[in-house]
Amino acid sequence: MVAAGPGVTALAAPFTALWRFRELVGLLVARDLKVRYKRSVLGMGWTLLNPLLQMLVYTLVFSTIMKVGVAQFPVFLLAGLLPWTLISVSVTGAAHCLINNQGLIRKVAVPQMVYPLSVVASKLVDLLLSLLPLALLALALGRPPSLAWLSLVPTLALAAIFSAGLALLFASLTVFYRDMRHLIDILMQVWFYVTPVLYPLSFLEKLPYRWLRGAMLLNPATPVVRLFQLPIYEGRAPGAAEFGQAAVAAFGVLVVGVLVFLRHEDDHIHHF
Amino acid sequence: MPGTISFSDAGMSFRLYRERVDTLKEAALGLFQHRKRYEEFWALRHASFDVRAGESLGLIGHNGSGKSTLLKMAAGVLKPTEGKVQVEGRISPMIELAAGFDPDLTGRDNIFLNGALMGHSKREMTAKLGRIIEFSELGDFIDQPVKNYSSGMYARLGFAIAADVDPEILIIDEVLAVGDERFQAKCMERIQSIRKGGCTIFYVSHGMGSVQSLCDRVLVLHHGALVFDGEPAAAVERYRELQGFTPDTAQARTA
Repeated sequence: MVAAGPGVTALAAPFTALWRFRELVGLLVARDLKVRYKRSVLGMGWTLLNPLLQMLVYTLVFSTIMKVGVAQFPVFLLAGLLPWTLISVSVTGAAHCLINNQGLIRKVAVPQMVYPLSVVASKLVDLLLSLLPLALLALALGRPPSLAWLSLVPTLALAAIFSAGLALLFASLTVFYRDMRHLIDILMQVWFYVTPVLYPLSFLEKLPYRWLRGAMLLNPATPVVRLFQLPIYEGRAPGAAEFGQAAVAAFGVLVVGVLVFLRHEDDHIHHF
Repeated sequence: MPGTISFSDAGMSFRLYRERVDTLKEAALGLFQHRKRYEEFWALRHASFDVRAGESLGLIGHNGSGKSTLLKMAAGVLKPTEGKVQVEGRISPMIELAAGFDPDLTGRDNIFLNGALMGHSKREMTAKLGRIIEFSELGDFIDQPVKNYSSGMYARLGFAIAADVDPEILIIDEVLAVGDERFQAKCMERIQSIRKGGCTIFYVSHGMGSVQSLCDRVLVLHHGALVFDGEPAAAVERYRELQGFTPDTAQARTA
C-alpha cells in the first residue's frame, strides 16, 4: 500500500492538471456549440433532425423491406443509434481537434487532453438533447418511458468514458498519420454493422459459427449500446452484470486512450 | 518560488525529414526500407542559466539563433530533448498574439477563452473585462467576431489580455512590432509597470534600444549556443561583434 503511493500520484498528476482547466473545457464546449448552432438556419434542429432522418431510412430498409422482425423498430433503433452516434462522432470529431487547435498548442502549455475531451463533452450535449424527442417517440409508439430510464444517468457517464478513450487515441494517432481519417471512416462503418444497433443482440447469439459468435461478442461497444437498449426499448434497468461488462469495456478503452495520448503528447508539436 | 526560470544544460533537437512520413500508407511501406529518413538539428544546446523572480531578462541573437525555441521551452510548450527546464509560476505568453483567438467568436468571448487557457476562472476574467476592453481600444468592435478584425486590432486585444492576467512570468516575443507608434509606446509603458510590480520578464526583440531600456540582464544566442550572459550594453556589443555589423559603421560606409 505504501509502495503504491508515488505510483498512484504519478498516475493522478495528469488528471489534477486537467481538473485545473475544467473551465477551459467548458468554454471549448460552449465555443463548439455556439459556432455550430449559430451558423445554421435550423440551429439546434439539425442535432435532433439528423438521428430522426437516419431512423426513417433505417426503418424503411431494415424493418419494412428486409423485415428484421423487431416490434416498434424505430424505438429499438434509436435506443442504439444515439449512443452509437456519440461514439462515432466523438472519434471523427476528435481526430482533427489537435491539428485544428495547433495555434493554441504552440502558444500555451495546457494539458492537450482538454481538446479531445471537449469534443466528447459537446457531442454528449447533443445526445442529451436528442433524448427528449426519443422519449416522445417512444411514448407515441406505445413504449412510454419508465423509471428504468433513471439508469441512463450512470449509463451516459460510461458511454462518455468509452467515447473519451477512443477520442484520445485517435486524436493522437491522427497527428502522426494524416490519412488516419480514411481508416477511421471505414473502421466506424464496419464497427457500426457488427454492433447490435440495427438488429437485436439475440441475432449474434444465434450465429451458426462458434468462432464468429465469440469474435462478435468481444466487441467492446456492444455492452455500452446494450445499456441504452435495455431501459429504453425493453423497459427494464440493466443488472449488475450488464453494468459490469460495460464498465470494463469503457475503462479498458479509456486506459488505452490515456496511455497512448500521454506517451505522445510532447511529440505532437513536432508533427503539426 | 513563483517567477523563477531555470535551464540546466537544456537542449532541443528537431528532426529534419528528408522525406516526411506522415501517412499510414507510407509508414507501412517504410517497414521494408531501413534507411534513416531524418537528420537531427540542434536548435539549442547546452543552455544553462537561472532567472530570479522579478528579474527582467533580454534575449538577443540573429535570425535562426534559437531565440524562439528557447522561449517556447520556457513557456512549457516545447519539452527539452536533453537537460532540464524548470519554470515556477503562472506564465503569460505574448507569443504570436493572433494565435490564441477563435475567429468565429467575438472579442469578448475570446477574452474568456484566453483567460481560461491561462488558468483563470470566469469570475476572475469578468473582473478584468472592463480594463482589457479599455486598453485594447476596440470599443464596440469587442462584440464582433474577431475574423473581422484588422491585424492591428488582433494585436491590441492580444496584448491587452496577456498584460492583464496577473502573470508571474511574462514572455514577450517581438510583439511590439505591430500596432502604431502611439500604441507601441503605451504597451512599453504597460510592460514597465508590470515589471515594477515584481513580475519576471523574458523579452525577445531585435530592437536593441528597447532591450537596453527594459532589461537588467541580457543573454546572447549564436547558432543555438548561449555565448553571453550579463550587462545589456556589453551584450549588445558582443552581439554586434558576432554579426560583424553595427548600424553606425554601416551608415558610415554608405555615406
